[in-house]
Amino acid sequence: MPNSRIGVYICNCGTNIAKLVDCEAVARFASEHPTVAITKTYKYMCSNPGQEMIAQDIHEQALDSVVVSACSPRMHERTFRRVLQTAGLNPYMCDMANIREHCSWVHKDAAAATEKAKALTKAAILRVERHEALDRFSVDMCPSTLVIGGGIAGMTAALELAEAGYPVHLVEKKDHLGGNLTRTDLTAPYLDSARDLITERITRVQENRNIEVLLNSQVKTLEGFIGNFTAGIERGSPQADGKNQIQVGNVVVSTGYKEFDAARISHYGYGKLPNVITSFDFEKMLRAGRIQTKEGRIPQYVAILHCVGSRSQEFHGYCSRVCCMTALKYVHEIKSAIPKCYVSDLYIDMHAFGKGHEDFYRKTSEVKTVFLMYGKNEHPVIRKADPKDDCEMIIEVNEKLSGERIEIPADMVILMVGMESREDAAQVARLVNISQDKDGWFIESHPKLDPVATTTDGIYIAGTCVAPKDIPDTVAQARAAAARILGKISRGKIEVDAVFAEVDETRCSGCRMCNELCPYSAIEFDEEKRRSRIISAVCKACGCCVASCPSGAIKGRHFTDQQIFAQIEGVLL
Amino acid sequence: MRTGVYFCQVEQMDGLNLDAVAKYASNLPEVETVETLGVQPRLDPQLLAESLKRGRIERVVIAGDQPGYFKPIFTRSMALAGQDPTEVRLASFRSRGATFQYSLERAKAIVACATMAVPYALAAIPAETPVHPSTLIIGGGVAGIQASLEIADAGRQVYLVERSGTIGGHMAMFDKTFPTLDCAACILTPKMVAVGQHDMINLITNCEVTEVSGAPGAYRVKILKRARRVDAKACVACGICSDVCPVSVPSDFDANITTRKAIYVPFPQAVPNAYLVDALNCTYVQTKKCGACAKKCPKECINLEEQDETMEVEVGNIIVATGYDVLDAGKVERYGYGKHPNVLTALEFERLTNASGPTGGKIVMKTRQFNKRLKKDEWTFDVSGPPPQSVAIIHCVGSRDASYNPYCSRVCCMYSLKFAHLVKEKLHDAACYEFYIDMRAFGKGYEEFAERIKQEGAFVVRGRSATVTETDGRLVVKGEDIVNDRLVEFPVDMVLLAVGLIPAPGTEDLSRMLGVTRGPDGWFSELDYNGNPTDTERGCIYVAGMCQAPKDIPDTVAQASAVAAGVLRSISSGKGIGHWDTLSLSEIEARAKSLARVSDKPA
Amino acid sequence: MAIRVNPKLIDELERFGSEDVQNCYHCGNCSAVCPHADDMFVFPRKPMRFLQMGLEKKLERSLTPWLCYYCGQCSVQCPREAEPGETMMSMRRWLISRYDFTGIAKLFYMSWKGELAFVVIIALLTGVGLSAYGLSKGDIGIYDGPGAFLPSSLIHTIDLVLMAVLTFLLAVNVMRMWRFIMEDAAKAPIPFGLYLKKLYLLPVHFFSQKRYAKCDPENKNRVHIPWITHLGIVLGYFTMLVLIVLFLDRLQAGPEIQWSVHLFGYLASIGLLIGTVYVLYGRLKKSQVQHRRSHSTDWMFLWLLFYMVVTGIIQHLLHRAGFPEAANIAYVAHLMGVFPWLLRMPFSKWAHMIYRPIAMYFAGIIRESAALDKAPQRSTQYLQPAA
Repeated sequence: MPNSRIGVYICNCGTNIAKLVDCEAVARFASEHPTVAITKTYKYMCSNPGQEMIAQDIHEQALDSVVVSACSPRMHERTFRRVLQTAGLNPYMCDMANIREHCSWVHKDAAAATEKAKALTKAAILRVERHEALDRFSVDMCPSTLVIGGGIAGMTAALELAEAGYPVHLVEKKDHLGGNLTRTDLTAPYLDSARDLITERITRVQENRNIEVLLNSQVKTLEGFIGNFTAGIERGSPQADGKNQIQVGNVVVSTGYKEFDAARISHYGYGKLPNVITSFDFEKMLRAGRIQTKEGRIPQYVAILHCVGSRSQEFHGYCSRVCCMTALKYVHEIKSAIPKCYVSDLYIDMHAFGKGHEDFYRKTSEVKTVFLMYGKNEHPVIRKADPKDDCEMIIEVNEKLSGERIEIPADMVILMVGMESREDAAQVARLVNISQDKDGWFIESHPKLDPVATTTDGIYIAGTCVAPKDIPDTVAQARAAAARILGKISRGKIEVDAVFAEVDETRCSGCRMCNELCPYSAIEFDEEKRRSRIISAVCKACGCCVASCPSGAIKGRHFTDQQIFAQIEGVLL
Repeated sequence: MRTGVYFCQVEQMDGLNLDAVAKYASNLPEVETVETLGVQPRLDPQLLAESLKRGRIERVVIAGDQPGYFKPIFTRSMALAGQDPTEVRLASFRSRGATFQYSLERAKAIVACATMAVPYALAAIPAETPVHPSTLIIGGGVAGIQASLEIADAGRQVYLVERSGTIGGHMAMFDKTFPTLDCAACILTPKMVAVGQHDMINLITNCEVTEVSGAPGAYRVKILKRARRVDAKACVACGICSDVCPVSVPSDFDANITTRKAIYVPFPQAVPNAYLVDALNCTYVQTKKCGACAKKCPKECINLEEQDETMEVEVGNIIVATGYDVLDAGKVERYGYGKHPNVLTALEFERLTNASGPTGGKIVMKTRQFNKRLKKDEWTFDVSGPPPQSVAIIHCVGSRDASYNPYCSRVCCMYSLKFAHLVKEKLHDAACYEFYIDMRAFGKGYEEFAERIKQEGAFVVRGRSATVTETDGRLVVKGEDIVNDRLVEFPVDMVLLAVGLIPAPGTEDLSRMLGVTRGPDGWFSELDYNGNPTDTERGCIYVAGMCQAPKDIPDTVAQASAVAAGVLRSISSGKGIGHWDTLSLSEIEARAKSLARVSDKPA
Repeated sequence: MAIRVNPKLIDELERFGSEDVQNCYHCGNCSAVCPHADDMFVFPRKPMRFLQMGLEKKLERSLTPWLCYYCGQCSVQCPREAEPGETMMSMRRWLISRYDFTGIAKLFYMSWKGELAFVVIIALLTGVGLSAYGLSKGDIGIYDGPGAFLPSSLIHTIDLVLMAVLTFLLAVNVMRMWRFIMEDAAKAPIPFGLYLKKLYLLPVHFFSQKRYAKCDPENKNRVHIPWITHLGIVLGYFTMLVLIVLFLDRLQAGPEIQWSVHLFGYLASIGLLIGTVYVLYGRLKKSQVQHRRSHSTDWMFLWLLFYMVVTGIIQHLLHRAGFPEAANIAYVAHLMGVFPWLLRMPFSKWAHMIYRPIAMYFAGIIRESAALDKAPQRSTQYLQPAA
């Protein structure tokens, strides 16, 4: 048994674990195990005193390995590995038993949960007995960055990096930069010019020598790993010449959103009723200075309908975050262009949460907008008006603040279409190897404390491809991504995790089964040796190859058969 | 291009001499006509179109505090006049901070740029300055922590100054965080530890910024280090000192629902994890008597004689992350906070329900206890206290209200829903009511969270409760349930107030020291709401997190990282940004001319 | 059947004095702080909502504006400064114009010039007419008895005629009010017996104005001054009306004082004087929330009343002091106020003296009919999960 002086630490996680699991009992149970030198419990093992306690024990008790029974290793494995390192142990001599997510959070019966916690802890103990010291190594960090998507997010991130003096390749699918923002005229809540904003960005991007803008272009392949990606680019005009393979150290994904297709909600009659239009159609009218019905009349009644495709059961459950303020903006724009026009605004909840928003909302009330509240999952019905009516259409809905079923006269209905993830999002996700949530948005590595990084090192996400966002939040997130990358680049090198699979050449039969299987294309085939070889820096240690190898030639470092069998044995008690 | 400049305002601007600007505009090349239309002019598109036709105007520039409010009618008139409707440009004084007497020159520059169809932000770029590689971050909340780590991880020196005895800020006080419900400590303490251990972060707690001098890229900052009176290095936080300390005062970390000693550590996971002496309440410091702690300290690391000292640091960039404070709930009299013991503020409840709180996370009502020391009854939380059978949560307390904060505090709706969840989770059969105006669940996963809470059986009442009174020992909540069209008045055991947020104390002084202006609501003003949400008017000074406006944790963190980008950019390029108000009119004009060629037709 | 939204109504109500109703974002604070709102009659928010949406019929049929006595708490506490109190006030003005079938009330409310013209013309006609009559038929030196400048018999007849006209106008308006409110107020048709049973509410509310006394959320314990003064005006006015209509001859006889009638006269005058002065002062000073904003008709109401009271007192004193000439002139001046006032009554603020008690009466009936209603009652304990 390589390790025989194990320290076992059981965390209460406040009451998260202790409320159900009898941590003391688990500690007592663990302490009976022969190779366990010391066991302790603490309220927050991850906190400073908790960490110091472990470090101290490592010295005083001459521990050779450590088991922490606490939360998911995704949360704190790094933390405790660092503790071991600072205490002079190899960081891989640590294992975590997840007695929170896998135990206290998901069970009700205290006794059974405690037993399970014991089993998990035992498994970790048996496993850590067989842990081996592993060494991290570092690779060079390529200073240039690939930014996918030339909207406000992409351009902002690119500028931050380029102005810091590092090369950036900005790839845009369309023939122009600016993204969705080029379709809007003014921005809420101060009615500033969106066009000035976007022009400023585009000009700065075009003038910056460090940025290579690739319009009409797409990223087709992305190989390699953080610091050393190779992107295969399909270049369109005007920059069709130039190489299609570029080396980058990091990637920012800022592919943005697409608007909800209003035609999907049949009873709004979008596409059938000529004067039912979407917010983007209306932006066109604004820019053309022609707010009028299809028949060319100036509307007397305009109705704005919020949450089209958002906050509903059959379409998108989420709130699109920008529509409310955009709607209020439209009210002011209509009142400006057609002073005599009556505007009614059908909303569910008025999301005026940002700086200056509430004031904007009040200003909108002051111009006598008829605000009408309808219920979630209720559908206002839009129908053609009778000839005797003085309006084109009638909207019928149950108004919640009056409790009445009402008819709203309208010559023009503006549908505030929500945001949804682009149809090619899945493709992009596969390309850069990140995951999507149920709505198709890209998933951050931590929704709160790491909103720009992803589970794949070197891949960052920013803007409305992560979730609906307004301009300031998008800009902030784009800069955040840039900051993370600047941090990495300026250090020049990056450490690669020591956990990866390796091929025992003496046993490899060269069947190449693993080559096809590897989801990260981390395995290459050495033709003259007729043996497979694993690029350790690319390997994510998923274990597919290990399991598949018919001749058992592949070993997963830190996931050896012995370690795993021991773990299973432990669970079975 | 034949250009017409039209001055229209939404509101009267304090002291800006519009006539001077108009006079200047009339002398600009290509400007044919200049008209001052006054405040909220009633414009008729037809007449306007005719006048545009008459003047053969090809480009319109609308100048004013918020010219966007008039853009559509001018665009329409241009279309009617048969001119290119996209040739309507805005000279926005407000969003460029040029509505004041002293901003005459800038107002002129803004108009000049607009007439040349050059975005002001593009033309008005301050001179570059050399940058000192180290950074000052004011405020050790989650924003300050995040920014520090971003910058320090990039191998740059950071001074993180924090007023209180520990970093962590408000987030450290919370129990769970919406919408994921992971515990605040679990996600924050590791970062706090990282800050404490980082070689590139010089953490200075219990201190105050007193003076800022110098220029962008080379600021000299005086910091008053209040005497900790405990050697933080030597202290092992054994706690013997506070055991023997005779003084006990309300614990601000526990939102004053518990007491602490005059020598204390704010909370067990504090960083730095060392005790400190609260000089205002320490008997020895005040009267030179006592000193029990110093005698008992096994490591002899307490020095009650230690004096405050001032240190000075030189930094290139300054990040302001001073966060927020909570409105005094007592001001909103109708809810009887301070009068009825079981009317709690959000922060108080956060501490009550927190595992490291006074009841270990057990939700109980305050009970009357006899305080032997003070010889009087007082209402306190006690683990053995009765759990509330019904809890009412009132939204928008002092928010969205002309008499208090006109603005929305952005986070209350969500944490109120979180409270409902916590109550339901810990006291299964307790009834829980949410009195709200608009349920602002806007973020990623928020709407789903709100739905979930309703599923868990919380009653959401559309209508902010109006009064909380007490009849025979029970709190009575009265409000209108608008959706069900009725007045509701019923007794509850506990009332939680979602109290609005206000800028942190000292924000005013800081804004004076740094020269960073504040908006009407008191929050620090960003340079440009959309384009530059984290920079400020002052070169190399940035704002992050709540101090710029209320925002939730993800947005705060994103902003903190964003600020770091600005800092790292300036350091690694060696080019800092100067003050924006030092730009001269002629410079901007010149640059605008050179850029005038830029065509910005949206494709 | 869905009701049509009418964004224009809000503009119409502005002419009646509503100002910031569009600001309301419906937090429901006003309804909850109102001492008169209850589960059956929820206001001011609800009627404000009808106004914002322009649900004209709904508003026309609502009783709630009459249940409000304008303590102003709603306005004080309103987070959006939407002035619910003033809005309710303007709704009452609007309702008066709605009940009035002639359309004159609407004219008065919409244009102060019109109203002023009306008052001035009537006043002049009165002045000229009476003076002509007095100079031809009577003697300016005689105040009462045979040969009097303005014999009480004459004035008495005019009074009676006017009363008849007014009663007719008001009767019609009240019928309209009844139709508006009662038509769809109760689900089941209201038994006639109930109307009789609740009749007592009319005198009770008219003579006590007791709900106004309740209208005092701020200083609960002390006597509610606004209520006292209001009561002073109402009772004073009523007493005077009775005295003039029934005992005019004895009232005018003199110079010696007939305490049996004059005592009442004096008390009434004092009540009226104090009340009017208090309200005028309040409106001028804008000291209390309910007096912050005044519609032209409010001023007309107060100044006319004040004028009548003062001239009335003067003519009385002069007569008693033995200056018949002066007394007669004062009397003419007095009547120059009285006749326009009386003719203006059904079209003006004054009408609320009638509509209010009737509204209370209807409220009582609706309440009871709801109680009789077989439909299941809403549980008093609030436990209804949101959808």
